Amino acid sequence: MTSRETRKDKRAAVLPAREGIQKAVTGFLKKALERGCFEAVMMPVRAPETRSYAWLMVKNPELLDEAAPLPPVMSVQGGRALSSLTKHGAPPLSIGVVLRPCEARAAVELVKLKQIQLDDVHVITIDCPGALPLKDYVRGGENALDRFQALLEHWDEDGAIRPACERCHRFSLDISDEDRPLAPSSKNGAFPVEIHIGLLGENKEEILLIPLNPSGEETLEKLGLTPDRPLDGWAARVRALRKKKEEKRRAGHEEFKKEISGLDRFLAVFDACINCHNCQNVCPVCYCQQCHFDSPRQHLTAQRYLDRARRRGALRLPLDPLLFHLGRMSHMVLSCVSCGACEDACPVSIPVGKVFSLVADETQPHFQYTAGKSADEPLPLQSFLKSEFCEVETPSECREHQSPEVKSHA
Amino acid sequence: MPKSLKTNTDVSQGVRDFLKHLLESGKVKGVLALKKMDGSGAASYAFMTSAKELAEAEPLAPLMPANAGKILSELTLKEAFGEPVAAFLRPCELRAFTELLKRLQGSRENVLLISPTCGGVFPLKFLADGSAKEKVPAYQQAARKGKNAEGLRAACRACTDFIPCQADITVAFAGGADSDSSCRLFLETPRGEEFARGAPGTFGEEKLETRELAGLREERAAQKAALFQDIGKAIQGPSALARTFSACLGCHGCSHVCPICHCLLCVFDSKMHDSQPEGFDSELERKGGTRIPAGTLFFHIGRMTHMAVSCVQCGMCSDVCPVDIPVTEVFSLVGDSLQKVLEYVPGRDVEEPVPSGTYKEDEFAQVGEQ
Amino acid sequence: MTDDFEPRIIGFLCNWCSYTGADLAGVSREKIPTSFHVIRVMCSGRIDPLFVLRAYLKGADGVMAMGCHPGDCHYLKGNYNARRRFVMLEQIFKTLGLDSTRIGLWWVSASEGKKYARVTTEFSAETKKKGPNPIQKEIFI
Repeated sequence: MTSRETRKDKRAAVLPAREGIQKAVTGFLKKALERGCFEAVMMPVRAPETRSYAWLMVKNPELLDEAAPLPPVMSVQGGRALSSLTKHGAPPLSIGVVLRPCEARAAVELVKLKQIQLDDVHVITIDCPGALPLKDYVRGGENALDRFQALLEHWDEDGAIRPACERCHRFSLDISDEDRPLAPSSKNGAFPVEIHIGLLGENKEEILLIPLNPSGEETLEKLGLTPDRPLDGWAARVRALRKKKEEKRRAGHEEFKKEISGLDRFLAVFDACINCHNCQNVCPVCYCQQCHFDSPRQHLTAQRYLDRARRRGALRLPLDPLLFHLGRMSHMVLSCVSCGACEDACPVSIPVGKVFSLVADETQPHFQYTAGKSADEPLPLQSFLKSEFCEVETPSECREHQSPEVKSHA
Repeated sequence: MPKSLKTNTDVSQGVRDFLKHLLESGKVKGVLALKKMDGSGAASYAFMTSAKELAEAEPLAPLMPANAGKILSELTLKEAFGEPVAAFLRPCELRAFTELLKRLQGSRENVLLISPTCGGVFPLKFLADGSAKEKVPAYQQAARKGKNAEGLRAACRACTDFIPCQADITVAFAGGADSDSSCRLFLETPRGEEFARGAPGTFGEEKLETRELAGLREERAAQKAALFQDIGKAIQGPSALARTFSACLGCHGCSHVCPICHCLLCVFDSKMHDSQPEGFDSELERKGGTRIPAGTLFFHIGRMTHMAVSCVQCGMCSDVCPVDIPVTEVFSLVGDSLQKVLEYVPGRDVEEPVPSGTYKEDEFAQVGEQ
Repeated sequence: MTDDFEPRIIGFLCNWCSYTGADLAGVSREKIPTSFHVIRVMCSGRIDPLFVLRAYLKGADGVMAMGCHPGDCHYLKGNYNARRRFVMLEQIFKTLGLDSTRIGLWWVSASEGKKYARVTTEFSAETKKKGPNPIQKEIFI
């Protein structure tokens, strides 16, 4: 069974990519569409007369001529796009979609939040070298596309990509353990990705199609592709790059933590915040139709504004940007997949993504939880054990710390 | 002749001194204005109640981190101020506040409205990269001379409504030829006069209109005509519209910062705007493909039907757009054309009803009779 | 335009006047276009400009709204509001270069069965001449 195959035993199909990755993957999807693997394809397509990309769901393969399965920017987060499509139920046709790993992780979180329906969606992920900062790209860095091309070839180009991508070590599948299956999966599709596209193989003119479940195997079969290439070369490269990125992430977070430690320095990060809430609006995990921080609860009476202003002599307006950021953090950081959509959307270039991914890395482990890893792992705040975290409880209520006399009376 | 109050300091200091006088004399209990945040030239709006904080005020800083008319509306949404306060707003922010008052989104009671002849603001990216400060001297000089400074928001360069309406006190900033050495406040209403009584300075009957102001009016009108012509061409017809908005992320940032868009739950953020699964089959059959998230043009044109009639061209929308869509240009062009047909100027008069909320029995006879 | 192009037109008809007028046209065997989809609303004042916009953007070749003559509205003022909304909508269309003659408001009373037949037939014929709504070709909307 595919899902039980260990990484060592796993084989990939090989797809020639002489004209580049975008064409090869688009061609693969077009063929899959023709052969009936799915009835529609969802992909980023270059939006007319702009550099940017928009998600299109197409039945007509001709509309994919300007498609880029791995576009230079992440305009609309793929998890958010899929959620907007399937929130109120799956469309009555099967869809194939290529997502960056962070977009797939967001989709997994959205499954748990019941904001997405992946039943008839064939998710394909792809090794990701990162994306370029959206604003810079849109404002016309002339050689932006060249930079991205170079990125796809060399893979650890410094400085060209978004800060979130620079610190990203989850750019591929989790292949840390050779003797474990590549993707945790279960009957219910815990990791709903059916094929992963490996770009880090030995040969730059080939890409690897790694089936992760029976559906993925079926797709490859329909296309006449046989998985017979071992993954060792690709896996070694992924491991090496991952190690580099993990260190970069750790070092980056450590440095950033120092920069923002203490109230003054933390406040300075959000100095320029205009409280526009763009970060919340583009976040794939923030799904509330009316965010708490946009609701009537946030409105005070004129007298209350005056009273609050009097307390310190001045009151910054719009009100409480810090409460918004920390509040939003408390709502969603345990599901934060570090995709960086927030950073791209901020009109005053606040490193929101840096702050949130730092906090995510330090909070999720408390629950042995990794956002986006598996749809089987329950959301940490939606489950509990009767006895846990006694270090948070007061000693008198934590059985472990109770004195023998108290215990015996219980 | 409007009564005026003049002091012999540069206009920024003069305004600060005047606000200080209002606060320290107890005439107002709080002041809403831009305030310095740090040495970088960045500023944010603050409601100040102490002289110490007010000393850091920069009412004329060339930045608009949020539309202050929207802020003032939020301050007075639930109830009017019970104690007198002063608010320093740009003309477009003041017009936006007036439009919001017509929609019952606030109260003018106990608020002293002070507004400058406006030299415009810089885009938010200068707030972000801290370069605002070094641009200020050149900005002030240009404003004095009645010229557009380099690097202003497109909305500001083309703004012909830069003289405040419905203010209690007007400050001569743009076009104020000697505003580097004198601060002139014009007392437009009885309330303005009342609050200015006893303030330091010389009362007189100065003129707001100057040669520089007239020059600025001309320059702005020319810029507006050019702006409207350019954007008009860029959005003619379905293809052009689709192209102009093709990079849209659907973040709705434009509507969230818009002062006129006040709905707590915008219909385009509600379930109405969500995609329903049944809709896709026929879309895909007919066109072969459809955009996700759906409804980009529906959102933008729909929003126009809701608020363009009151658009004050403040420029917040373009500034927050993550993909640099010229939202302000499009909306202000549509707004302008609607306002002409309905003979309406947003913010001109708080008693004038919003045209989409009223009617006359005898009008537009050509509609309906075909 | 090929002869077999049949314009798809959406009609928002107010219950008391125009819907009744449409009924009368039907009963009197007046000729009305076949591809005309009627949506009944209680008053032309109920017609949200977003209804018209949605229909147009979804590809309707034409959108007609009908109500009672000014002064005759069953709810007294609804049609005055509708009239203003259409002035606004038509101007928005004009400024954006969208064909404002593909949408419109007509006054059709309960007794004007013939008028209903006339305006729908004329509008359909004119729309047919213009061809399909060009928005149908646009994907990035």
